Amino acid sequence: MTAGLLRPASAAGTGRAARWWLAGFTILGLALPPLLPERHLATFVLFALTATVTVGVSLLMGYAGQVSLGQAAFYAIGAYAAGLLAVHGVPSLLGLLLAPVIAAVAAVLLGAPLLRLRGHHLAFATLAVQLILLSLLAQADWAGGAIGLQGIPRLTILGYELREDLGYAYAASLVLALAVLIARNVIVSRAGRALRAAATSETAAAASGVPIGRYRLAVFALSAAMAGLAGGVYAYYLGYLSPGSFPVLLSIEFVVMAVVGGLGTITGPVAGAAVVIVLVQVLNTLATRPGMPGYAPAVLSYAVYAVVLILCVLYLPKGLVPALRRATRATAPDRRQS
Amino acid sequence: MTGVIEVRDLTVRYSGATALDGVDLTVHAGELVALIGANGAGKSTLVKVLSGLVHPASGTITVDGRLAQVPEGREMFGDLTVDDNLRLGGWRNGRKGRDTTHVYDLFPDLIPIRARRAGALSGGQQQMVAIGRALMARPDILVVDELSLGLAPLIVTTLVGHLRSLHADRGLAVLLIEQNARLALDLCHRAYVLESGRIALHGAAADLARDPRVAAAYLGGHVPVTP
Amino acid sequence: MSDLVGYLLTGLGIGAGFALVGSGLVVIHRVTGVVNFAQGSFAVLAALLTSTLLGAGLPHGVAEAGGVALGAVAGLIVGVIAIGRPGTSPGTSLIVTLGLGVLAYAIEVLIWGDQPRSFPGLTGVAEIGGARIPAHYLLIIAVAAPVFLFLAWFFARTDLGRALSACSSNRYAARVVGIDVRRMGLLAFLIGGALGGLAGVLTTPVQQVTFDSDVVLIVNGFAAAVLGGLTRPVIALAGGLLLGVAQTLTAGYGGGAYQVEVALVLMLTVMIVQAARTGGIPEPAR
Repeated sequence: MTAGLLRPASAAGTGRAARWWLAGFTILGLALPPLLPERHLATFVLFALTATVTVGVSLLMGYAGQVSLGQAAFYAIGAYAAGLLAVHGVPSLLGLLLAPVIAAVAAVLLGAPLLRLRGHHLAFATLAVQLILLSLLAQADWAGGAIGLQGIPRLTILGYELREDLGYAYAASLVLALAVLIARNVIVSRAGRALRAAATSETAAAASGVPIGRYRLAVFALSAAMAGLAGGVYAYYLGYLSPGSFPVLLSIEFVVMAVVGGLGTITGPVAGAAVVIVLVQVLNTLATRPGMPGYAPAVLSYAVYAVVLILCVLYLPKGLVPALRRATRATAPDRRQS
Repeated sequence: MTGVIEVRDLTVRYSGATALDGVDLTVHAGELVALIGANGAGKSTLVKVLSGLVHPASGTITVDGRLAQVPEGREMFGDLTVDDNLRLGGWRNGRKGRDTTHVYDLFPDLIPIRARRAGALSGGQQQMVAIGRALMARPDILVVDELSLGLAPLIVTTLVGHLRSLHADRGLAVLLIEQNARLALDLCHRAYVLESGRIALHGAAADLARDPRVAAAYLGGHVPVTP
Repeated sequence: MSDLVGYLLTGLGIGAGFALVGSGLVVIHRVTGVVNFAQGSFAVLAALLTSTLLGAGLPHGVAEAGGVALGAVAGLIVGVIAIGRPGTSPGTSLIVTLGLGVLAYAIEVLIWGDQPRSFPGLTGVAEIGGARIPAHYLLIIAVAAPVFLFLAWFFARTDLGRALSACSSNRYAARVVGIDVRRMGLLAFLIGGALGGLAGVLTTPVQQVTFDSDVVLIVNGFAAAVLGGLTRPVIALAGGLLLGVAQTLTAGYGGGAYQVEVALVLMLTVMIVQAARTGGIPEPAR
């Protein structure tokens, strides 16, 4: 299965465009952080981590054809795994590597029964999983309970301890680049195409002998691993975790970003996360000006998520990136992919 | 003389594919007209256009009077009772129009099963409910889509009898869409033959029944011997 | 023994709230095929408005009616946005209602702030079978029961109710007989909004409400509705009551912990068993 999953297809159309995008992202990810003022670095870290989770959500929704309203659960599992391991003296880099593995294992165990569900049933099931996790975490004294897990050491790579935001910005960039690279390979793989076919006609794909169930579980686990890896970085970056850091709304945010960018595209989730986070940040700056009421930031960010999601779903159902691609193709027909 | 249904130069496209191409069709008041054709010839599309469920790309449809449809496959409200199915047939007519007595008078067989779930009935009973539900709209013209499909010959004969008497007693016009060309040509005055979205032939039903092309394609190759 | 009676009655009171939310979901899903994620918001909006109206000096009854009316209007608005555009698939509509639920957060925080709110209901304590329980729980049961009877009568015995059932039974046939399926869908959203609103105004005196209380309500309501396959209101009612009782029993005998998990695990189990029974999508041979 892994060979099939990761083997790039010969169709180079999406691949070539994606390679340029990847190069662009990498340059941006390396060049941008040092140029950003300190207060925006935190936003950048948040963006890169959120985008990493969104890449997984986009893959899940676009390729497994399923809405997950509980992706923040795997983000939380990764974060708590890394945090707990580090608190108990496990080297932080090892903890970071184990975080996605633990999240993926959890996804496989949960996914085996849950992925029998479809559509709104799966949406509510994933939401239920997150609520159960949050409730269990709040009652688990060994994980800090409702107060939270404190005193998580910072990330140390080869004896070098990341203390500054800049280091975490690079770490987050790296994690995002890895997620995008893996997503690209999945999308152009045989399994990716099989899943895309299955999203339109499941019975037809099943009848043609494609092991859709296993592919779907693999994508579910992969998306959980991405969330878990991002969660690991998040744990070391903040040094403090609580159930309240992973609300249901966070899962909805991931869905918003994935839908806005364009489901099942390579660059869509990154663009979606960037657009939404920049928008929220800009409005936050406005909302925290003197004279604005204390509830303004919350109201504005809720409104942004809601309005952006609704408008996108109704008027731009394929998302931002495919829509832009169509627009540029209309003006430059010679760049149409074969 | 214009008809109850006037279809002129009707073209319908489904996402690019042409389902109907320049169709002309007329049903006069109190007339029994058949529309025959193979699967996929465009018969069901025409029915949907007549009922306003599909919008044509071009052409005109004039329906003078009230039209009710007996849809293909009967399309029962399966979880509702026979009585509820009939009452809903009179939905457009307001509260007074939902009196079901006239339908039970016509189909006394439905009286003992009026409280049964429509989904649990036999095909013949369902077709009776479907016709009764259409009659609840007090139509001037009945569009019957596939009367005989999946029904035993004896039941079809009974239903054809009902349509004949509806026509004779109430002057109801009927447009019958049928795969069973022999049945359709036998019952109706005039007929149209639809092939690949176009009207290939039309004329008096008796003439069409003797037409060798119709016989070859739709009547199993045998020209009926009629005096 | 008296403990048990007390738990049962409070459970039925809380469960009636879940059942109202759940049956609102069922009414909307039956007619439109949409699972309305904003269903919990109707309850929150109604409860918040009621608290304001009561604060402004309106008498009980009038204030609650205002809350329910707001729920109905909110339901209609959600319906217009979620199914108003022709060709919107139920899956798309689910995401739209999700967005509208978040939009409700913005509106609620803007108007009412983010602190928990409540308002007094029926005061006093009733004694039944040796159990002393707040009288308001009995009021919830006393109001919800006739509402469910009315709904049953409405769907089975009125032509409008039959037309709504017809849309869920056979959408195509409904169009054939001339029922405006879209308008019926909006009516279903209106009814669903009112039911959600009623749940909110009834349960807030015993469970205070915050802008994000909708998540617990929608999840429990969905759990109740899913027991009846999202199509049978009577089973949604029974499911809601069962959930309420199960939660108070766990809370009562289990020391307060794990009552959220009970409902959620029950819901997951039911859905997985249902999926296994209907076969779902056949697994390809290995």
